Amino acid sequence: MTIREFMSDDHRHCDDLFALAEQAAADGSLTRARSSFGNFQMAMLRHFLGEEQTLFPAFEERTGMRMGPTQVMRMEHEQMRELMVAAVDALAQDDAESFLGQLETLLIMMQQHNMKEENVLYPMCDQQLAAEQDSLIERLQGDLQTA
Amino acid sequence: MQALLSYDQSPPLSAPLRFFLTAPLFLVLAGALGVLEGEALFASRWTPAALAATHLVTAGFMLQIMVGALIQILPVLAGANLARPRLIAGIVHPGLALGALALALGFLQSAPGWLHAAGVLLGGSLTVFIGAAGLAIFRVPSTSPSIRGLKLSVIGLAVTVASGLFMLLALAGGWAVPLMPLADLHAAWGLGGWAGILLAAVAYVVVPMFQLTPGYPAKPAWRFPLLLMAALLLWSLAWAVSAEALQRLAQAALAVGGLLFVGQTMKLQAARRRARPDSTFRYWQGALYASLLALLMLLASAVHPPLAGVPAWMGVFGVLILLAGLSAFIIGMLYKIVPFLLWLHLQPLARPGKPVPPMNKLLADKDGLGQWRLYLAALLLAVAAAIRPDWLAVPAGLCLMATAGWLWWNLAAGTRNYRRARLTAVSA
Ligand SMILES: [Fe+2]
Repeated sequence: MTIREFMSDDHRHCDDLFALAEQAAADGSLTRARSSFGNFQMAMLRHFLGEEQTLFPAFEERTGMRMGPTQVMRMEHEQMRELMVAAVDALAQDDAESFLGQLETLLIMMQQHNMKEENVLYPMCDQQLAAEQDSLIERLQGDLQTA
Repeated sequence: MQALLSYDQSPPLSAPLRFFLTAPLFLVLAGALGVLEGEALFASRWTPAALAATHLVTAGFMLQIMVGALIQILPVLAGANLARPRLIAGIVHPGLALGALALALGFLQSAPGWLHAAGVLLGGSLTVFIGAAGLAIFRVPSTSPSIRGLKLSVIGLAVTVASGLFMLLALAGGWAVPLMPLADLHAAWGLGGWAGILLAAVAYVVVPMFQLTPGYPAKPAWRFPLLLMAALLLWSLAWAVSAEALQRLAQAALAVGGLLFVGQTMKLQAARRRARPDSTFRYWQGALYASLLALLMLLASAVHPPLAGVPAWMGVFGVLILLAGLSAFIIGMLYKIVPFLLWLHLQPLARPGKPVPPMNKLLADKDGLGQWRLYLAALLLAVAAAIRPDWLAVPAGLCLMATAGWLWWNLAAGTRNYRRARLTAVSA
């Protein structure tokens, strides 16, 4: 398995959780939306953590590019963290409309971010980090499960 | 490679936005032509009014948005960075907008001067765009069906422009060459080779992502652009040797290819996991049904050519493929791209505890949904007007003007909200 395959699979997993949360809110069940959005947020934060603490440092170490693509990806993670906080706030105020609005922004942000990672950054990682691929995936697996 | 992931390298907001803000005005003009010249417009494909209206929709509306959108999304879709996006947009946008106007005027007044001007403006600006987009995209290896599609669509655009320029020169110069078969070929390359393949290349990525559907099956997705390309080459060969049977075969292949893509996309849309139908979904749904009908008509007239001579056949086909099909796909995309771009460009101004307005506060989806309903009414009227232009061309034209104006208003209001949010953030 490549880094690209492993991490892309986790993106799809996050998509699934996103869909559940949005469905719940659209059905008018804010309680269900809170718990499904919680699951989604957790999965996203773990994914970010795996990248920021394991994958990106390894890439930066190997290539010497610290202010390059990984920096942009970290910035976009920050933007998504804020969008998720705003969504939680909307739920806390029982504001389904505003929650769904935040989700729309979040979805597009997330998808264009994932696209850049899957099409550019992960393939670069596979190329640059071929030697340590297996051990990296193992560590990423750990990050995604615990955190 | 690393440049594409950097925020500084993404094109400035004004590069794509200027195309999006002028394009709807061409749809308004097409509607006005329906009001003023409705009967001539639907009398035949070859009347000055019909040629002008067709090109207001294709070159003025569709092409402008597709070019603006590509400047924005080539880096994200293909990792292909367009060099100097600001400069390219600065050259291509006025060239395209003024060129499309000159073209419509040239057709309407049969004026060689306007036709020549259109040739220079459109030929010049599109050569720049094709060169820049080609340089960016052909450097990238075809690692996905989408990237292959983007490459082929740029070739499709080049053939469309070349054949169009030739016909302009022939028309303006009064050359004694038969233009109708070449005009068919030009339309096939423009709608199939450029717009159709580009649509598929974009859909492969955006349908699964934004509707949360399963992905397009890989093998058909890789083959579809090639199938269309093969059909177009066959059509070109048929034109070169004047082989009518071969042309019909190519037309049928093009229609079947298109139907397979539309069918696949409908199947995926049915499996979408998004909670609510938004304006993008409504537009795409309408566009898929319209394309289905239009492609069936294309297939039917390939099998049985006299059909194309049935009164109103070509008018209905034109409305379905251009307005109800391709333009609707494009507007649906706009309602996703524009609010997101506005939001994205506000991001650098966000401060802790002071987030920028979310997308739906910049451009509310209910405005898009309302505009869609009026668009649907305009489409139904336009189809009916193709059958009874003497009664219905005026209301159809007025309705198109209104909904296109509303589209423009929605996009302009989004831009105003963006400016206001910018000012608030800067002065805070
Ligand atoms: Fe990421």
